[in-house]
Amino acid sequence: MEQPAVDLSVSLGRLQLPNPITVASGTFGYIREMEGIVDVGRLGAVIPKTVTWQKRLGNAPWRTVETAAGLLNSIGLDNDGIDYFLAEHLPYLRRLPTKLIVSIAGRTADEFARMAERLEAAGGVAALELNISCPNVAHGTDFGADPVKCAEVVRLVRSACDLPVIAKLSPNVTSIVEIAEAAEQNGADAVSMINTVLGMAVDWRRRRPLLGNVLGGLSGPAVKPIALRCVYQVRSRLSIPIMGIGGIASIDDVMEFIVAGASAVQVGTANYYDPQVTLRLVTQLPGALQEAGVTSVRDLVGTLRVADEVDRG
Amino acid sequence: MLPLVRGKVDRMSCSRSTDLAELAGARSISVAEVPVAENEPLARDTYRLRIYHPPMARRFLPGQFLMLRLADCDDPLIGRAFALYDTVLDERGEPCGVDVVYLVKGKLTRRLARTPVGQRVLVWGPLGNSFPPIAVDEVVMVAGGIGQTPFLAWARELAGQRMFGEPPRRVPVVPRRLLLYGTRTADLLAGLEAFAQAGLEVQLATEDGSRGHAGRVTELLEKILQCGKRPAVVACGPDPMLAAVAQLCFQYEVPCWVSLETPMACGIGICFSCVARVRQDGDWDYRRTCVEGPVFDARCLVW
Repeated sequence: MEQPAVDLSVSLGRLQLPNPITVASGTFGYIREMEGIVDVGRLGAVIPKTVTWQKRLGNAPWRTVETAAGLLNSIGLDNDGIDYFLAEHLPYLRRLPTKLIVSIAGRTADEFARMAERLEAAGGVAALELNISCPNVAHGTDFGADPVKCAEVVRLVRSACDLPVIAKLSPNVTSIVEIAEAAEQNGADAVSMINTVLGMAVDWRRRRPLLGNVLGGLSGPAVKPIALRCVYQVRSRLSIPIMGIGGIASIDDVMEFIVAGASAVQVGTANYYDPQVTLRLVTQLPGALQEAGVTSVRDLVGTLRVADEVDRG
Repeated sequence: MLPLVRGKVDRMSCSRSTDLAELAGARSISVAEVPVAENEPLARDTYRLRIYHPPMARRFLPGQFLMLRLADCDDPLIGRAFALYDTVLDERGEPCGVDVVYLVKGKLTRRLARTPVGQRVLVWGPLGNSFPPIAVDEVVMVAGGIGQTPFLAWARELAGQRMFGEPPRRVPVVPRRLLLYGTRTADLLAGLEAFAQAGLEVQLATEDGSRGHAGRVTELLEKILQCGKRPAVVACGPDPMLAAVAQLCFQYEVPCWVSLETPMACGIGICFSCVARVRQDGDWDYRRTCVEGPVFDARCLVW
């Protein structure tokens, strides 16, 4: 039987991806760990673990604890810093047959901008994701919880480089729409959401927190409804393209996010417990689009039908 | 004089031991959904689980592990790491299956204990480094609790009974092989027959004195070292036990490796959960147990 042509390509502002299936930063290591497990050439893009200006040891163990249908983590941006990234990781990453989005986290807006400059100069980077939403480091969400600070960092990065910029947003805010709006108005090409949901786990017998850093970020299927809500709220109010993140593990999850308003998705925690999940999603996507009666991903984005009288908050 | 320890573990190397590029080329990991072929009780709350996957089985080295979870199940969600207990051979003598042994402890293992043969599990492996090939006259394996599981395959290898890996690796036969195995009570001792078949001399310890030495397994080790023996020591068990073993080995100046039981989320190096403090240039850094371990030279760790 002849397969009808299905167009999987998507646009996130100036960033074009061959398909909408990508991986969330921090859940795919530095990509080469997945060599021999996932053919990354089939993914829409890859996003390695967040880079910071200086080396960070990360948080004390335990760094992850499983909770009901979810995973609580407090890794703490363990990484070797931008110099090491440029010297040891980027040469490998830029040779991969896929788009490379580099996730960066600065302690100051200036650090974001300086990393952006150096990454653009180094070459091979398709876009930047600004991690302004890490709950596991001091001040990690400063830029993602305050629209003024979010505006500042996006504006500064945009003026420091010509790379497409994606702001990664936190759900741990009163209004994610306000933060997304600040990103949009200051030149972000897209927003990605959500980073993890702040939580904790307790061992009552020992009267101790289970995570070394006490608090952590919840991810996995448990947070999917929260993520869908955020995508839907932002899509209803703004026109900026969205990458959906949060508990995506099946093709139904992918389709739900696209219908709710995501132009692309990032698979996160599922990579940990189902290492080849991304490949399966890429394979299953054309069939699901056919089932939805569309011939391109773009035709499906944000097509959720909501009755007019519903108060969209 | 320290016993001769040859090969790549000859010198103490705590610097970034695993070049990632080398790693990616060197390791070959299978990911597969397979049915549980056997799930047999070995002792109280202790079971041996068998799966068949010839490519994975052929590559497995003693000391390596696999990750396992129930297929299509969101709770428990994350895989758990299980050490290779033994490979299973087909009629031609080729490895075709993998046995792991688990102790019922948490959400996943409670479910596993009730899992019927035929239930599908997702497994990925082999993962991690392996026990080092060592050329010594005597190896003492020290196991605490469920920490005995990685030693069966290695005992077979050191006895010259079996070869592991693809292509099969050749390791020097170690003439004297002793297992010191301690649990809380006698009914938790698992796999004693298999260890005997693997040519191990076994000394037991139970904390309640229900079998073997009444007390800790580290007391057995200390007795041996006090006698003036200088074996290579390899330990697996809870962290406090490993720390005690390492301390004794430092004191008696014998080489010591430990296989860490650090909880893991992915097993393949992408999550950075399972870090241990590893010495580096006079300082230390967090390193991933799943990639650079689980077996470490005890001198490389910060205790």
